[in-house]
Amino acid sequence: MTKAELHTQRLKHVFIMPALVFLIALNIFPLLYNVILAFSDAELSGGDWQFIGGDNFAEVFEEPRFGTAIRTTATFVFLAVTAELLIGFILALTLREPFKGKSAVLTFLLVPMMLSPAVMGLYWNLILNGHYGILNFVLNLSGFGQPQWLTDPDLKLFSVLLVDIWMWSPFMMLIALAGLQAIPRHLYEAAAIDRASRFTVFWRITLPLCAPLLFLSVLFRTTDALKQFDLIMAITGPNDTATQTLSALLYQVMLRDYNIGLGSAYALVILVIVIALASVFIRYIDTVQRRQGRASP
Amino acid sequence: MKILRWSILAGYLTIALLPLIWLAFTSLKSQPEAISTTPGMLPSLTERLEDSGGFRFTVTKEAYGRLQETHTGASHSFISYLSNSILIGLMSTVAAVALGTACAYGFSRFRVAGAHDWLFFILSTRFLPPLAVVVPILMMYRQFDLQNTHLGLILLYTSFNLSLAVWLMKGFIDEIPKAYEEAALVDGYSHLHVFWTIIVPRARTGMAVTAVFCLISAWNEYAFALTLNNTRAVTVPVYFAGLQGNIQGVPWPQIAAGVILFAIPIVVFTILVRKHLLRGVTFGTIKQ
Repeated sequence: MTKAELHTQRLKHVFIMPALVFLIALNIFPLLYNVILAFSDAELSGGDWQFIGGDNFAEVFEEPRFGTAIRTTATFVFLAVTAELLIGFILALTLREPFKGKSAVLTFLLVPMMLSPAVMGLYWNLILNGHYGILNFVLNLSGFGQPQWLTDPDLKLFSVLLVDIWMWSPFMMLIALAGLQAIPRHLYEAAAIDRASRFTVFWRITLPLCAPLLFLSVLFRTTDALKQFDLIMAITGPNDTATQTLSALLYQVMLRDYNIGLGSAYALVILVIVIALASVFIRYIDTVQRRQGRASP
Repeated sequence: MKILRWSILAGYLTIALLPLIWLAFTSLKSQPEAISTTPGMLPSLTERLEDSGGFRFTVTKEAYGRLQETHTGASHSFISYLSNSILIGLMSTVAAVALGTACAYGFSRFRVAGAHDWLFFILSTRFLPPLAVVVPILMMYRQFDLQNTHLGLILLYTSFNLSLAVWLMKGFIDEIPKAYEEAALVDGYSHLHVFWTIIVPRARTGMAVTAVFCLISAWNEYAFALTLNNTRAVTVPVYFAGLQGNIQGVPWPQIAAGVILFAIPIVVFTILVRKHLLRGVTFGTIKQ
């Protein structure tokens, strides 16, 4: 190796290492620390702690709140992602053809998703308020009564879902639109020559060709919805049985009940779920990228 | 078909934007008006007449004027929390873009052993739920006196945004033709020189787009901010959340006014990067 090559070798670390060090110090190290804590009886107030083996994990699986939280999270993620996918895809279909002012309409549509979920969640309390909320005012005028969005246990999760769907449907729309616009025109022309029905064209061309990007958007939203915490905090708080997802339960156990050991055990179990999902996701991104790489010269 | 298409679009746009319009109206109301059970629907610049059939409210700028006041339950005014958010957001964005651009250049132009795995390792950090790592970070931060400091959140948001910055910048730098640099390298200039004089000027758009997305996620972040900075260097989302359950009633007009001031930069930035939104929200995995 020449001196210049050696120099280049060293230089490449100058570019890459700072970012990696940052990620390791603030992501990987805490993660490992978390594993240690999960086997301890540490409390947030500090003081000495010791290893207690797998006791925390036994407690996690005995805890009734954990099972409920898994169900609540699954319900929330499934309903949110399904609704957002449907709304987003329908919106993308309406935005497919070019028209005047399309770029402005698109930008307006995307605003809710750029806003802070914690802050918008707080503001939605005003809209959803059972007594003076504008939603109930309108519903009451139209003869639908006054549902108690924020206090009725049957409606609370729905309220959180409503805000999540309001914020994130545009995200699905954006990705679905990219999928639709990438479908080659000539396929539709060929279908028109064959006198294929609108229905056939949709099921045989539009949907299958759009599917890979729709799947990508579903993966993006699923991993995000799994982490949803801000909206739940803002709308019902972390300790509400009706909306206690895994993130909310984690917050309650660790930062309200100060039980770090148990909380870390929860965190590990959640991590296993997230890692399983993320590895599917990452593999998929990899294939999408390879495919793109092949498509472009 | 065309009519159906337009009515769906118009209907959705109305429903989606009404909450934001209502937000603007609320910020122009007085407190009793904001929580009235017969709310005024449209602004009126004249005094409200009791018998005008309701549906109108008198516009007042009071809420904006009171943003400098300190609310019950908070220790500073909105403006001071806003300055914390600005400082933390800007500093962490600058750091994330700088480190991310350098790292992306490294991966784009050097042969790195296991580059593919490293890049996916970087991407995977984005999937970490904040609450799963927040307690170890809290304990570390107590050790280093970083809890309740601006620096603490700046460092955290920098690392939190790095995955996005590296991935986005890698995409942008890959698109810069190598010919310019190769000429400069043959002429004997170093990679550092090449990076600074050739790559950075050509990657400017990419850096601006990346900065906007980093800024937005730092600006809006709540879980870390709530657990790490709750007495000093408190950011706006945490401040707003703390106003809930206020004994004197939630000061809705002031909250609405604050939310608007807090959201305006985000809306402006969204408009500025509208051509790159798809890329930004998908980590550069989809390019248009």
